[in-house]
Amino acid sequence: MSMHTLLQYKWEMMTPEFIVLGTALILSLMDLFMPDDKDRRPLAWIAFVGVAIALIATIGLIPAKAVSILNDTFRLDAFGKAFKLLLLAGGALSLLLAFDYRPKEGLKDRGEFYYLLLCALLGAMIMASSGDLITLFVGLELLSISSYILAGIRKTSMQANESAMKYVINGGISTAITLFGMSYIFGLTGTTNIKEIALEVQKLTDSGYQYILAIAFLMMLVGLSFKISSVPFHMWTPDVYQGAPTPVTAFLSVVSKTAGFVIVLRLFITIFTQAPAQGKDPSSLLFSMQDYIAFLAGATMIIGNTIALKQRSMKRLFAYSSIAHAGYILVGFAAMSWVMIDSIWFYLLAYLFMNLGAFAILQRISDEADSDDLSHFAGLYQRNPLLAVAMGIFLLSLAGIPGTAGFIGKLNIFLGALMTEPGHYVLAAVMIATTVVSYVYYFGIFVQIFFRPADETTSLRMPIGLAMVVVLCALGTLLFGVVPGLAYHFLE
Amino acid sequence: MSSVPLSVYLVLALILFCIGLYGALTKRNTVIVLICIELMLNAVNINLVAFAKYGAHPGIAGQIFALFTITVAAAEAAVGLAILMALYRNRKTVHIDEIDSMKH
Repeated sequence: MSMHTLLQYKWEMMTPEFIVLGTALILSLMDLFMPDDKDRRPLAWIAFVGVAIALIATIGLIPAKAVSILNDTFRLDAFGKAFKLLLLAGGALSLLLAFDYRPKEGLKDRGEFYYLLLCALLGAMIMASSGDLITLFVGLELLSISSYILAGIRKTSMQANESAMKYVINGGISTAITLFGMSYIFGLTGTTNIKEIALEVQKLTDSGYQYILAIAFLMMLVGLSFKISSVPFHMWTPDVYQGAPTPVTAFLSVVSKTAGFVIVLRLFITIFTQAPAQGKDPSSLLFSMQDYIAFLAGATMIIGNTIALKQRSMKRLFAYSSIAHAGYILVGFAAMSWVMIDSIWFYLLAYLFMNLGAFAILQRISDEADSDDLSHFAGLYQRNPLLAVAMGIFLLSLAGIPGTAGFIGKLNIFLGALMTEPGHYVLAAVMIATTVVSYVYYFGIFVQIFFRPADETTSLRMPIGLAMVVVLCALGTLLFGVVPGLAYHFLE
Repeated sequence: MSSVPLSVYLVLALILFCIGLYGALTKRNTVIVLICIELMLNAVNINLVAFAKYGAHPGIAGQIFALFTITVAAAEAAVGLAILMALYRNRKTVHIDEIDSMKH
C-alpha cells in the first residue's frame, strides 16, 4: 500500500478515537516518568478533559455523511455516532468517579487505573463503528481485557482478585462461543465484512445452510449476552460488581453494557434480517428467532428483579437491577418494532444518568464505611438532605416513576412491544409485573434514606468530582423525564 | 491433503470446542480452566483456517482472522494468569470451589 492510498482516507472521521488514544498514551507516559511518591489523582482530570474533547469532536462529526474508511472496516454512520455519544458521556462520568475513588486501604496503581479506563472506552468506541467482524472482535477484546484488569486493580483485596478471576473465566468462555458463531458465518459467506455478509446470506436458500446460520446466530447471541449481562450469561455480574472498585462497577454497568447492545443491534439487524428463514413465511431469520430472544428477555427480567429482593449488599443489589434493566432493553430488541433503535438508545441514555448518579452516592457512602451494606444508607436525609433528594430522584427513575427519564424509556419500550403485529402481550405483561416487583427493593432503599435514624450524625460532604456527577446526572434524569423530545430531536 | 474433506476439519473443531467447554465448566483447577478456554479458541482457529482453504468461498480473510484470534487469545491468557497469580498470593489456592468468599 503506497503512502498516497493511506493519505486519501478520511482520517478525520476517526478524530474522537485518536483523541482518546492520544490521551491514553500521554497518561501512560506521564505515569511512567512521574516520581513514585507523587499523587496521581490529577491525571484523572487530564483523562476527563481528553474524553470531553472527544465528545465535542463527536458532536462536531454529526453533520458528516455516513462514510466507511479503511477498506470498509471502520464505519461512521448515524447509529455509530449516536451510541458513541453515550459511550463517551458514560466514560467521562466514570472518570470523575475514579478521580474521587478513595478506598480505605488506598490504591497503588492509580495511573494505570485511569489509562486502562481510557483503553476500555476506546475499545467500546471501535465496536460502535466497526464494519468488519475482525475490527469488531478486536474492539470487543480491547474493552474486555482492559476491564478484567480494572476489576482486579486492587491487587491486595481478596474480593477484587476473586471477582477479576471470575470475570476472566466467564469472559473467555463467552468470547470463544461468540467467535465460534462468527467462524460459521465466515464459512458460509466467505467474508468478514458485515455489509458483504448481509449480501451473501441472502443467497443461502438451502435449508442445511440456514440450519447452520441459525446455530451461528444462537451462539453469537449467547456469547454476546455476557457483555449485556443478560440470561444465560448473567451469573458473573453480582460477583464482579461487588468485588470491583465502584467506578469500575459503574463503568461496566453503563459503558460496557451500552457497547454490548451496540454490537447486538448492529450485527443482528444488519446480517440476520437479510437471511432467509426456514420454511413457512418469507420473513427473515431474525424474525423466526424472535421467540428465543423474547424468552431470554423475560427470564432476564424475572431473575434480575426477584433475586435483587433479598440482597443486603448495595453493589449486588445494583448488579441484579442492572440485569433487570438489560432485560427491559432486550424487550425492545425482541419486539422489533420500527422504533426499536430509538427506544433502546433513549433507555440507555436514561440508564446512564440514573445509574451513574446512584453509583456516585453509593461510592461516597461505601468508601466512608468500607462496606456496601444497605444499612449505611440509614438517615442519609439527616446527614445531607440534598444528596438524599438526588438519590431519591435516581431511585424513582430506576423504578420508572413518571416525571423521570427512566419512565419515558420504559414507556417507549413497552409501547414498542405492543405496537407490532402481533403484539407481544406476554412480554409486556412480564415487564409490568417485574417492574412492580422492583419497587419493593428500590423503595427499601428509600425507607432507609428517609425514615431510619442515622448511626452517625456528622454531615456527609461530597468531594468535587462526585458532586459534579450527581448534579449532572440528576439534571439529566429530570430534563429528559420532562422534555424527552430534546433527546429524540437530537437523534434525528 | 486436499483429499480430506472440509467436514472432517469442522467435526474436529466441534469436538475440540465441546471438550474445552466441558472442561471449562467442570474442572476445579483454574489453570486447567484457562487451558480449556484456549482449547475453545483454538477450535475457532481450525474452523477459520479450514473455511479459508476448503470452504465454499476460499479467501485470505479467514487466515487473517485466525491470526487476530491467536494474538488476542494470548493477551487474554496473560491477563488471566496474572490475575491468578495475584489471587494465589492472597488465598494460597487455585481451586475454583474454594474461591467463594462472595455469596448471595
